[in-house]
Amino acid sequence: MQPLTTIRREKRVNVGQGMSLVTADPEHVLTTVLGSCVACCLYDPRLQIGGMNHFLLAEPRAGLAGIGGGIEAERYGLYAMELLINDMLKNGSSRPQMRAHLYGGANLHDGMRAIGTANAAFAQRFLEDDGIRLSYSHLGGSQARRIDFRATSGQVRCRVVDVPPVPVVAPAGSTGDVELFGSARTEATGR
Amino acid sequence: MSKTILTVDDSPSMRMLLRSALTERGFQVHEAEDGMAALEWLTKNEQPHLMITDINMPRMDGFGLIEALRAKPQHRDMPILVLTTESSDQKKARARDAGATGWIVKPFDPEKLASAIRRVSH
Repeated sequence: MQPLTTIRREKRVNVGQGMSLVTADPEHVLTTVLGSCVACCLYDPRLQIGGMNHFLLAEPRAGLAGIGGGIEAERYGLYAMELLINDMLKNGSSRPQMRAHLYGGANLHDGMRAIGTANAAFAQRFLEDDGIRLSYSHLGGSQARRIDFRATSGQVRCRVVDVPPVPVVAPAGSTGDVELFGSARTEATGR
Repeated sequence: MSKTILTVDDSPSMRMLLRSALTERGFQVHEAEDGMAALEWLTKNEQPHLMITDINMPRMDGFGLIEALRAKPQHRDMPILVLTTESSDQKKARARDAGATGWIVKPFDPEKLASAIRRVSH
């Protein structure tokens, strides 16, 4: 006798703010709760791999111009996207093969700077500039979302929830550490 | 005269960010999308004052690019900064052994990057 339904085993993996994860394990369900942050889910249908990140743009430093803080803000978003894309590339994918979903970018509180809108606009523009096809997005609004992403099949469940997401933490101060190797360090000190 | 920089990165978004950050600070920026494109650019153009390259790229990665350039006498002394999301000591050592001048971890600080360029470019 055939069972009426097939119960699939699943291992839930939380993708918190600042994280990025790619998997080829069909039992993995990547999950997160989003407020003003954005999660990008990437899926390669040919390789049946996928991944998710979870990020927000930085608050710009005082005096820096530009939409949403310009370079100062966007470098964190770029970093998060690059981590995810690099992991997909290392697993054999390519930008033209990838399909993207975007979630989040809500503005949870009236009167605050529309950080959710800025995060969503950044993510959409990034995908367009990098030539990655956006298959679906559920962005904006004023409520939090819970995302469950079965990365190897590309299936996503997005639910609007009343549970507030974990409070947003601004990205840590820039690393951007510079290390100059041997001879260059000598030149730099004038010897 | 402004110093010329060749940026090598497979992400158009990252190249745009670098262009914006560097031109704002007085540098003249040229771009290549991977190691192979950078080698082609260098055969057709005058050597820039400095090159900034990513590591993970299709066709030819940053390690391959640095090794190829250091094998050519005309590019042996060109300063090359690696700008990458990679932070492992092993990869950093590999870049140093290949002939990189420096190693910068993303997300980069535009001021620190400009300062490093000024220190090592001839």
